[in-house]
Amino acid sequence: MTRLYNAPTDFREELIEGFVAAYGRLVKRVPDASGVMTVAAPQPRKVAVVVGGGSGHYPAFCGYVGPGLATAAVMGNVFAAPSAEQVYRVTKAVTSDAGVLYCYGNYSGDVLNFDMAELRCQDEGIDVRTVRVTDDVASAPRGQEDERRGIAGDFFVFKIAGAAAARGDSLDEVERLARKANDCTRSFGVAFGGCTLPGQAAPLFTVEPGRMELGLGVHGEPGVQSSHMRPAREVADLLLDALLADAPPAAGASVAVLLNGLGSTKYEELFVLYKDVNRRLLAEGFQPYAPIVNEMVTSLDMAGCSLTFCWLDAELIALLDAPCASAAYTNI
Amino acid sequence: MGSPEVADTVVRRWLVLALESIAAHEDELGRLDAAAGDGDHGATMVRGLRAANGAVETATGSAGDLLMTAGAAFADAAGGASGALVGALLATTGRTLGAGPYDTAALVKALQAGLSMVMRLGKAQPGDKTLIDALAPFITALAVQPADAPLADAWRAALPSAVAGADATRDLVARRGRAAKLGERGLGHPDAGAVSLTYLLQAMDAALDKT
Repeated sequence: MTRLYNAPTDFREELIEGFVAAYGRLVKRVPDASGVMTVAAPQPRKVAVVVGGGSGHYPAFCGYVGPGLATAAVMGNVFAAPSAEQVYRVTKAVTSDAGVLYCYGNYSGDVLNFDMAELRCQDEGIDVRTVRVTDDVASAPRGQEDERRGIAGDFFVFKIAGAAAARGDSLDEVERLARKANDCTRSFGVAFGGCTLPGQAAPLFTVEPGRMELGLGVHGEPGVQSSHMRPAREVADLLLDALLADAPPAAGASVAVLLNGLGSTKYEELFVLYKDVNRRLLAEGFQPYAPIVNEMVTSLDMAGCSLTFCWLDAELIALLDAPCASAAYTNI
Repeated sequence: MGSPEVADTVVRRWLVLALESIAAHEDELGRLDAAAGDGDHGATMVRGLRAANGAVETATGSAGDLLMTAGAAFADAAGGASGALVGALLATTGRTLGAGPYDTAALVKALQAGLSMVMRLGKAQPGDKTLIDALAPFITALAVQPADAPLADAWRAALPSAVAGADATRDLVARRGRAAKLGERGLGHPDAGAVSLTYLLQAMDAALDKT
């Protein structure tokens, strides 16, 4: 249930205003646009990493704007991609001589609007590239990885792209590294209860008591399969099995781990689950690298969680370790 | 629509009636969308149409220009795939119509241009369970109306094809958009975008009826 709002139609605008009021030390409003950018933007000779998508997924996407992470976030209405016009305005505000990388989850609305903005910017001579996040193994089979949607894996791709841009890498290089991060990242999730949009009385979908939905989408799309509820250790096995069965080629032993809460699953529950994730990972011979148990890409008040692995090498580890500061994630 | 003055009135009236109709069906469209998507289609369409109505209030120019203005405002306010696609449909139809004439043949040509743009942007074909499944049969039906029939009559005669097309999407499996990730679980519900498009076409019928 979304309880705190004034007019549902003002939800996006009011949340942007409140976010900027709270985190003005890190971000500023993009003038005349639904988005925020780092206080230092635009920065000459630095690639701008522009992320974005619908609202309702905090800390995605504005919570990742800050030095060493995303340069700007374009913010759509709840669960709706931002319009091409808004993407264009944000791009114009942050663009420098080094070019721009668009980075967002692979959903048709986001693809349409970011692509239209990209064409418009290229017509004006701005070098814009795009890397779409496609980490959700439940959304398309192996061999069709490009068709998959982006969920919590957003975080690793944004972090690696943002770190590369911050150290002054060229646009070619930032694009290559973001693509590599995406190719090395897999997620799978489960949902125990639906979410309710601001102003709506009923949830988008419900999960029967004693059951869970496998392979949920972060917009409350029902899962691809339904199952009976299981103890945490079995849920851990189920999540791990899905990811390990889909490990990228040349996957090593070192893996960044994100256990992500979807909105109303308690942190304590996530830690109980993580205990078993960790046990399985070690038993399988993996080395969990700087694990994160947190809410990183949510779905309003949905109950559930997702597990993300990002298989690492030295190049990606250096970028993951690089310092950054943002409302949602700081590494020093 | 006849003369440029009448066409101007029809476009403005259509936008008002379209907003009324979509707002009245907002919950129904949301429920249809929630069957396989995120349940916000009704709210998205209302948001877009409110902005389109606001934008044409101060706009001048031909009926085609008004549709272009409405399309741009719709796309920006609505956001998402629906915003981009319906906005592009309005804008492209308006650009093709231009300053007239505003007869059935010109509408068919303009709507075909709009349909082509939607198919190109959305990378979708008939049968993919999208608004195309209501729009394409409507245009086909409009194109075979008697050449000398008034636009209002031709439009009304073509409407059942759009309704039937939208209704038939309940037996289709989505191949584009977020709903496509669900495969056959979306079966049994008509596509929200196809249904809302029939409401837009019905609103135009009402707008033409009053001229």
